[in-house]
Amino acid sequence: MNFITTYCHISEDHCAVNGEVLLTNESENSWIRTLYDHFKIDYSKFHKMDLMSKIGVIGSEILKSQNGKIVDYDDDEIALVFANKNSSANTDVKFQQSFKENGSPSPALFVYTLPNIVLGEIAIKNKWYGENIFVVSENFDPEFYENYCNILIPSKAMACACGWVNVLNDSIEAFFFFVEKEASTEDSLPLTSNNLLNLRKA
Amino acid sequence: MEELKKNLKEQIIERLNLEDVQPADINDNDPLFGGDLALDSIDALELIVLFENYYGLKITDPEKGKKVFESINTMADYISKNN
Repeated sequence: MNFITTYCHISEDHCAVNGEVLLTNESENSWIRTLYDHFKIDYSKFHKMDLMSKIGVIGSEILKSQNGKIVDYDDDEIALVFANKNSSANTDVKFQQSFKENGSPSPALFVYTLPNIVLGEIAIKNKWYGENIFVVSENFDPEFYENYCNILIPSKAMACACGWVNVLNDSIEAFFFFVEKEASTEDSLPLTSNNLLNLRKA
Repeated sequence: MEELKKNLKEQIIERLNLEDVQPADINDNDPLFGGDLALDSIDALELIVLFENYYGLKITDPEKGKKVFESINTMADYISKNN
C-alpha cells in the first residue's frame, strides 16, 4: 500500500494546500507572480516558461514546502506521473498566433508546444531524474495514477510526484499530490482511487 | 537613445514571453545571457527575429551576434549605428 502524503490545488483564482485555501487572486500583481513570490521561488528560468510549466514548477515547490522528506530522496528516486485534458493547446494557440500576427513563428513559444515539457522543467528545477510519464486523457482518471504509482513504487521509484495540470485559454485547473511507500505526514491517506477523487474535489 | 532602450526592453519582454518581468527589471548594462534573465540559444533566435522584424537588421555572423546581444546598451548602440 502506498500513501498520498501531501497535495495542493491551483486555479486561476486560488491556491489551496492540503485542502486549506492559502492564497486568493486579489493582488494587483499577476497571479503567477503572486504565487512565485509567496513560495519564494528564486529561479530566473521560470519567467520564460509557458503557463503550464510555471504552474507545474509552483506545484512541485508547494509539495516540497509541505513535506520536508521530499528533498531527502536521491535524484533518480522520484518519478513524475502527470496528465491533463488539453495537452499543450494553450501554448499551441499562442504559437499559431505568433506567426499569423507577427509574421514569424516564435522559437520561445515553439519549445513549449508539447505537454510533457512541463515534466522537463520540473525535473530540471528539482533534479528529479526518475521515470516520467505525461498522459492526455479526456477526464481526471484516478485509477491511472493509482495503478501507475503502484507499478513504479518500489521497483522503479521510491516516490511519485503526480499532477493533473490543465491550462486552456489561460484558465488553470491543477491538482498535485505526492505518493510515498510510507505515511510520512500526519495527514497521509492510502493511495486509492476514491481518496484521489475526494481530494481532487477538496 | 533612451526611448530606443525602453522599446527594446518592451520588445524583448513581448517576444520572449517574459510575462512576469517589467522593463524596469532589466538594467541597460546587465548581461542578457548568463545574467538574471537567463536567456539561452532559443532566445538568441528570438532576438535575431526581433532585429529583423522591428529594425530591418540581419545578424548572420554568430560572433557578431554575441557582441550585439550582450546587453540592452550594445543592442541599442548597434541599432543606432546601422539604422
